[in-house]
Amino acid sequence: MLSCGNPAVEEQALMPRRSKFGKSKDCVRCRLKPGNIAIRHAVYCKECFTPIVDMKFRKALEPSVNARAGTSKRPKLKASGNLCLGFSGGLGSSILLDMVHNTYFSNRPPLDDSGKPRGGINHPRNASVWPSCIVCYVEVCGAFPGMQDRTEAIRSVVERYPSFDFVPLRIEDAFDESWWTKVSGSNSTPQVWLELSKEGLITDGLHVASKVTGLTPAEAIRLYLSSLPTQTAISSALQNLTRVLILHTAHSGGSSHLLFGSSLTSLSISLLSAISQGGGYAIREELQEEWAPVAASGSKPDNVLRVIRPLRDVTAKECAVYAWWNNVFVIGRDKQRRAILGIAALTKNFVVGLEKDYPSTVSTIARTCEKLEPKDAPSGQCRLCKRPMQSAIQEWKGRISIRSYSDDKLAADLAHIPLPCRSNLDTSTPCQVPPLLALTDFLCYSCHTTLTSRSSRGVKQSAPGVSSITPLPIWVGDRGLHRDGLMDGGARRKIPEQEMLDTVANFLIDNQDDKE
Amino acid sequence: MAGMMTIKLVFSGGLELLFDNERNQSVLIPSFVPSDNSTHSPPSSSSSTSSSYNDTPSTGETKAADLEYLIYHLRDHLLKERPELFMENGTIRPGILVLINNTDWELEGEGSYQLRNNDEIVFISTLHGG
Repeated sequence: MLSCGNPAVEEQALMPRRSKFGKSKDCVRCRLKPGNIAIRHAVYCKECFTPIVDMKFRKALEPSVNARAGTSKRPKLKASGNLCLGFSGGLGSSILLDMVHNTYFSNRPPLDDSGKPRGGINHPRNASVWPSCIVCYVEVCGAFPGMQDRTEAIRSVVERYPSFDFVPLRIEDAFDESWWTKVSGSNSTPQVWLELSKEGLITDGLHVASKVTGLTPAEAIRLYLSSLPTQTAISSALQNLTRVLILHTAHSGGSSHLLFGSSLTSLSISLLSAISQGGGYAIREELQEEWAPVAASGSKPDNVLRVIRPLRDVTAKECAVYAWWNNVFVIGRDKQRRAILGIAALTKNFVVGLEKDYPSTVSTIARTCEKLEPKDAPSGQCRLCKRPMQSAIQEWKGRISIRSYSDDKLAADLAHIPLPCRSNLDTSTPCQVPPLLALTDFLCYSCHTTLTSRSSRGVKQSAPGVSSITPLPIWVGDRGLHRDGLMDGGARRKIPEQEMLDTVANFLIDNQDDKE
Repeated sequence: MAGMMTIKLVFSGGLELLFDNERNQSVLIPSFVPSDNSTHSPPSSSSSTSSSYNDTPSTGETKAADLEYLIYHLRDHLLKERPELFMENGTIRPGILVLINNTDWELEGEGSYQLRNNDEIVFISTLHGG
């Protein structure tokens, strides 16, 4: 039994550090061999480790394969559609690819570096669960000038698994009408523009642009990201764009299941990060969800996409060891995204540090979030992130925040606020009830925070004489904004071309020869 | 060469980018090193005498070369950039997994594991997951 020393006698009385694993260094599973890896106080040998991780993967995935649960304890697995895998090139994604291939598509084993079959585990029972599988990758270099395009490198990784079809996407597809037409079948979706500097996102800031803007999708996404107020907002926006792109691609391709390679560590990081940015209402969706786009008629389609993270019980350490011992090639994630700061990066540093000294705490984060449930039913789907939306957000914000400083006593307290920050505080007009129809009513609290959060460096000011407008992803304009009352039926303001060009001049790619 | 050990190194998971993109390397480590992990004397070529490595450092304290010393040695002599991505608070940065001859370093005493000739130490970064 460990005990502290006696400080009265010893100057440096320190409690001996408790070992991170149990008393024995032998494998807890076979009890025959010495352990090779310590996972959360349990020790496993190399031979027992891989089957343990495979079992965790299948336990997390297989209960959700069949459309209906049924009564059999070990039902025959048969999905109602195809399988889609979200692939980033990272550790979890790479392992996911390998595990899915080995377990469900083992007719053709994966290839090694020399192009020869690597050999897989034969599971004839599972060979026909999904008829086909696509692997979606979203290239983000279009949002960052000078960043290397990794699409072909990723393609070469996916091609090692002959049963998988590679579907490359680009982050700027979120602003590409042709991509939207392909996945949604809608060919008249307007590009929605927004004035972000105005608090409240009121309707007169919501302009529907005509088609003669001359802005390419790459230019549009760069303008969108540069308009966001903080690094956290940029990081969050990229995650949302990536997720929605893959959701629509998977759904339109007839997939019944979409898998992401988030490990337990990554999941805990994204859960904490989402909660700290106001995304607590959609915590259950962060873990697992059944998703479908809302149709123009307002009804949900018959085919629902099940979004699952089968590695949610596997820590990053287990993933790394699994990849090492099973020769899984990991190409890695793009460097630019790793360099992005913000709440996500800070949360990652915190959780990774926590995992080193208190490995069970990371699991506790995910387990606690699994128990959370919103009190009321959602009031629809957020137009931006496509997640369930809490009702009466504006009323709630009105109750918890001060909207104006019309009160004399409060106005007197303004003296302590620096002058540059006072300019946007309205002290003259009394508190106004927000307009009945505002884009804010169709955004979840998290997306609203992403678009309007204030940086500690003060409010972003646009150049004088130039309106601060930004395009929104193409799916925001779906289902007709005037139908929701956001736009007056015929009174759409067409932005003059010169005004548009003035706004986006800095973001136009200098390619005069290609312009029509 | 008397008093020297060959340690095989493998860097994976993106960590190789900090070491000149070389996944597989090896280093020569003296059997006894300063207790304060001082790495002032870089390992010389095989033609040099080994007497300089047997000199007692100014502190007078030596220890058998262990993994803690190896980490300092790698930071001071092999790392090409961003030392803060490899070491933190005198030990390996959280998120980097260390395997000693295919065994978790947590089972071998972490930094206090005493190195032996031809040991293989694998450093895998787990920080780029998902």
